[in-house]
Amino acid sequence: MQPGRDPLVWLAVASSTVIVAFILVPLVEMMTQPTMASLKETLMDRDVIRSIRLSMVTSGAAALIALVFGTPLAYLLARHRFPGKKILESIIDLPIMIPHPVVGIALLSIAGRNHPLGRLMQALGLEIMGTVTGLIAVLTFVGLPFYINTAKAGFEEIPPRLEHVSRSLGASAGGTFFRVTLPLAWRHMVVGGIMCMARAVSEFGAVIIVAYHPMVAPVMIYERFTAYGLKYSQPVAVWLILVCLVLFLLMRMISLDRKATA
Amino acid sequence: MQLPVSRRVFSHLLIAIAWVVSINAAPVAAMQKVIIFHAGSLTVPLARIEKDFEAANPGIDILREAGGSTKMARMISELGKPADIMASADYKVIDKTLIPAHADWNIRFATNQLVLCYTDNSRHADQVNADNWYDILQKKEVVWGHSDPNLDPCGYRSLMVLQLAEKFYNQPGLYDRLVANRPEKNVRPKSVELVSLLKTGNMDYAWEYLSVAVQHELKFVKLDDHINLGNYKFDDFYKQAQVKVTGKKPGTWMTRTGKSCTYGITIVKDAPNAAGATRFLEYLLAADGGLKVLKDMGQPPFVPCRVVSQGVKDALPGTLPALVEVRE
Repeated sequence: MQPGRDPLVWLAVASSTVIVAFILVPLVEMMTQPTMASLKETLMDRDVIRSIRLSMVTSGAAALIALVFGTPLAYLLARHRFPGKKILESIIDLPIMIPHPVVGIALLSIAGRNHPLGRLMQALGLEIMGTVTGLIAVLTFVGLPFYINTAKAGFEEIPPRLEHVSRSLGASAGGTFFRVTLPLAWRHMVVGGIMCMARAVSEFGAVIIVAYHPMVAPVMIYERFTAYGLKYSQPVAVWLILVCLVLFLLMRMISLDRKATA
Repeated sequence: MQLPVSRRVFSHLLIAIAWVVSINAAPVAAMQKVIIFHAGSLTVPLARIEKDFEAANPGIDILREAGGSTKMARMISELGKPADIMASADYKVIDKTLIPAHADWNIRFATNQLVLCYTDNSRHADQVNADNWYDILQKKEVVWGHSDPNLDPCGYRSLMVLQLAEKFYNQPGLYDRLVANRPEKNVRPKSVELVSLLKTGNMDYAWEYLSVAVQHELKFVKLDDHINLGNYKFDDFYKQAQVKVTGKKPGTWMTRTGKSCTYGITIVKDAPNAAGATRFLEYLLAADGGLKVLKDMGQPPFVPCRVVSQGVKDALPGTLPALVEVRE
């Protein structure tokens, strides 16, 4: 296609510019608002460091749980047809659609003493309200679909033929998965993990209902905004975005690098 | 990389959007709007007053946004969010955050008081009363909480009640012993959030305004007037309670001093619809209008409402001067 001839190309360029500007302009504006001094001061604030670290740890844990429990499900969905598959897929997508506070309320309502499951959890010493356990539970809930859908797409790209060959040569189902499927699909799984973690880091609505303390970064940004105003919430936001950016770029690079050399 | 959001989701979203647009678009366009920012504790009476007002004034659509009073005031003063009316659970918030840049006057229109809420399933629900509540809140197995004193006036007022109880019951060290049995995770941004924690059995007792307890049909312990922050005749006693809350920047503090719960309301300067806002206030502050609803819902109103000086009274728009009296 030669630009200049096809008006469709120009239309595409124009709309892309609008979209990119729509995303970047407010973010850049926010990132450049705080002064270096306030950024430095924020970095010295131990509460801020603690909240960003807590965000990273809980979101990472959510991604890990999604990886462990979601991979078999993603594989199942990619490889098999069975009655109720469409329903199962819709259920997995549900967390994307449900308003976030509802997720928090739903989890809290089964965790309380007024629910048999809540009483069982209390007997086991599992506490959801205001705990790291609760945070991870919420973040896993909202992040799961992003991992499962991405991993599923990865498995779908691998020809089943390769697995059949492996099986016909005598490898077990498990051996085939770990020695044939996994090496081919792991990049998708990493990307799925990144998506899941990114979604989890940004979660606010569900988190604030389940746990105000301990504070994850988005909750702290909100708390800073309500208690002190814009000026003191922006630097925290900037640091959270920077940390996430570095982390996700790193993970992207790891998963892309090998692809180029493979 | 493939898009993780599947087609299914997309089509669901489209249907949802189409539905929302179809029910909302048509009627709203022709109406004038009045935007009200208000304290969470005013949600239920204002919803009712809004309904009555809109029925009488079909051309006006009231849009309400609830939150901690300090937060809502900051939305106006710092984010410049458009609003016509600001109603605060602590009338001082209007004096401190909005006057003079974003408002000119402040009308005190209703009162409230602190009560200790619980449900049938709360631990020791069958024994708790006005004389033993502070013993029960010290029991290890009892989970109780209050809202964040830095964000919500109900939060620091809850702590004031505990301080006043120490004085009133003459129990030195009571405040510290109580707070020691309340882990930080039991502190929430807004007091209304605690209601769902009570109802789901995640919490046994929560400090709330009387209005919230009445409107959410919770059981509650009503406290002596000396400590409930509800009777302005005891303001001299309330004054003894002092709670440190966060100041203008992280690491700084300021002190809140106890006084009776008094709601304040104002029309925001540069209100997009000052005329509509005045109409609504004329209805809200009428003895047989909004004030009656407030009375029914556990927020005893001032009849008539109060302003600090004759100057303020004369500056009020519309027929509002006739609805207020000058009283300290």
